[in-house]
Amino acid sequence: MIFFNYFFFYYYFFLQGLLSILRKLKSTPDQEVRILLLGLDNGGKTTLLKQLASEDISHITPTQGFNIKSVQSQGFKLNVWDIGGQRKIRPYWRNYFENTDVLIYVIDSADRKRFEETGQELAELLDEEKLSGVPVLIFANKQDLLTAAPASEIAEGLNLHTIRDRMWQIQSCSALTGEGIQEGMNWVCKSVNAKKK
Amino acid sequence: MRLKRFLIRYYPPGIILEYEKGGHLRTKSIDLLDLTPETNPDELVVDIMHSEPLITEARAEQVKQLILRLQQKQGQEVHHRFCFCKELKAHILPLTNVAFDKSGSRFITGSYDRTCRIWDTASGTELRVLEGHKNVVYAIAFNNPYGDKIATGSFDKTCKLWCADTGRCFHTFRGHMAEIVCLAFNPQSTLVATGSMDSTAKLWDVESGREVVTLSGHTAEVLSLCFNTVGDQLVTGSFDHTVAIWDVATGRLVHTLIGHMGEICNVQFNWDSSLILTGSIDKSGKLWDAASGKCVVTLVGHKEDVLDVCFDLSGQLIATASADGTAKVFSVATHQCLVTLVGHDGEISKICFSPQGTRVLTASSDKTARLWDAKSGACLRVLEGHTDEIFSCVFNYEGDTIITGSKDNTCRIWY
Repeated sequence: MIFFNYFFFYYYFFLQGLLSILRKLKSTPDQEVRILLLGLDNGGKTTLLKQLASEDISHITPTQGFNIKSVQSQGFKLNVWDIGGQRKIRPYWRNYFENTDVLIYVIDSADRKRFEETGQELAELLDEEKLSGVPVLIFANKQDLLTAAPASEIAEGLNLHTIRDRMWQIQSCSALTGEGIQEGMNWVCKSVNAKKK
Repeated sequence: MRLKRFLIRYYPPGIILEYEKGGHLRTKSIDLLDLTPETNPDELVVDIMHSEPLITEARAEQVKQLILRLQQKQGQEVHHRFCFCKELKAHILPLTNVAFDKSGSRFITGSYDRTCRIWDTASGTELRVLEGHKNVVYAIAFNNPYGDKIATGSFDKTCKLWCADTGRCFHTFRGHMAEIVCLAFNPQSTLVATGSMDSTAKLWDVESGREVVTLSGHTAEVLSLCFNTVGDQLVTGSFDHTVAIWDVATGRLVHTLIGHMGEICNVQFNWDSSLILTGSIDKSGKLWDAASGKCVVTLVGHKEDVLDVCFDLSGQLIATASADGTAKVFSVATHQCLVTLVGHDGEISKICFSPQGTRVLTASSDKTARLWDAKSGACLRVLEGHTDEIFSCVFNYEGDTIITGSKDNTCRIWY
């Protein structure tokens, strides 16, 4: 087991109950950031979220709804909404678009068969009016697998260089080992700072 | 004035008088909130005759028979152990809230999948799907006791009014600027009150579908609201740490209840509308005098946020649920904590009494709901089976059926 020390992140609290959901929905003060975590099913969103909160990642099942966690980082409280990625749930992603500060899109870099599908979903998200101008971080996840495509190849395949209307970044990572996640979250905090200025 | 007939109300105990005045049929209720199986019925009849001119000497025997019936009902042992359970794969996304109609024969579920569904309690079959909202259906209600209409409040900022039989949408109430998170019908079923993340509450006319008034005054999200039993006052609780009492007829702010040090999670009137109960994430509950707006007592003891509070139907007991995983039962008369309900492994987000007031039901993030004896505090039953946290739980009017709604996309019927 690889041990990874996130000195920036610590487990804040796990949100529970409907009241907690409403408390996350409300207009957040400056230092609170609402992050939407999306991507196809089996991309590793929930594993990533649990890594962020330094939780056990050994028993993760497909997300039938959503998970929310709050994580403290660089003076921000990041409220991360992890929404299930199965096809039948995707139409409901838009339930969660409003007031999003940063979009994190997770891709399974080893599942080449679904690159086209994931590219289409991402393109549709970037066209959404409620997400216009929202900075997007793309995690090229599962880099621990030998068959994983490098981030540069994915960036090219998704035509990321054509994105002009927002800040974007692609970061290779492994949610399993934790590698690359912190770099990505640093970019998230930086882009929030840049937007607030 | 001429007395036509008597109606009996079991929960809370009372006798309804139907009488004729000026050619119109009217009703009034004699609340017997203090009635116990030990109450002397003869003395009670004398008391009632003193205070109620409609009850004459000739009617005394009839009234006594009604009192005896109420006492007999109270004395019945509650045998329901809720051993049986039916799982309904209700929605494709987590449930938000569940609610019964008055008889308990039907119930409704709201969900993140933007629908509200009507279910037959006995068979567990789906009767209707109410589709049309463009986002999460969060707050739902039947217009009890009539049960012919349903109101749904959504994160799409609208509230919809539906026919409970056909599923037809009568009206869409538009006007809120943010998510609708709480709603209620007034007791006459002529108005719907909605509370929103836009810091306002609104009253809507059920018949015309028009907005009647906007209740502005809160400076943060309105999270809970409750009409009193008569329907002339509405109380709202807000994230701005305050509670407001509104006059329904004029929309005027009557009192602002200031004292909580944190966001308000729930507000409720007691049956005779003399008291208001509030809970807050400041770890306390408070009891307020509805007439003066003054705080009567602060209910302390919880180590974490109070997440839900409720009265029992007769208004003698209070229950509080907390993020510390415990619940407490308080006496309204003495303000003493009678019992602490210990057993849950996670925070308790919902709490309610059985209609009889003898049982307490709690829903927790530990994936269980628990049934407790309100007097002894003993855990009578652990309702296990859900695979994710339980967001809502509710008794039917008879107190013999429970519905739980969970983040695992299912609801369960326990009987």
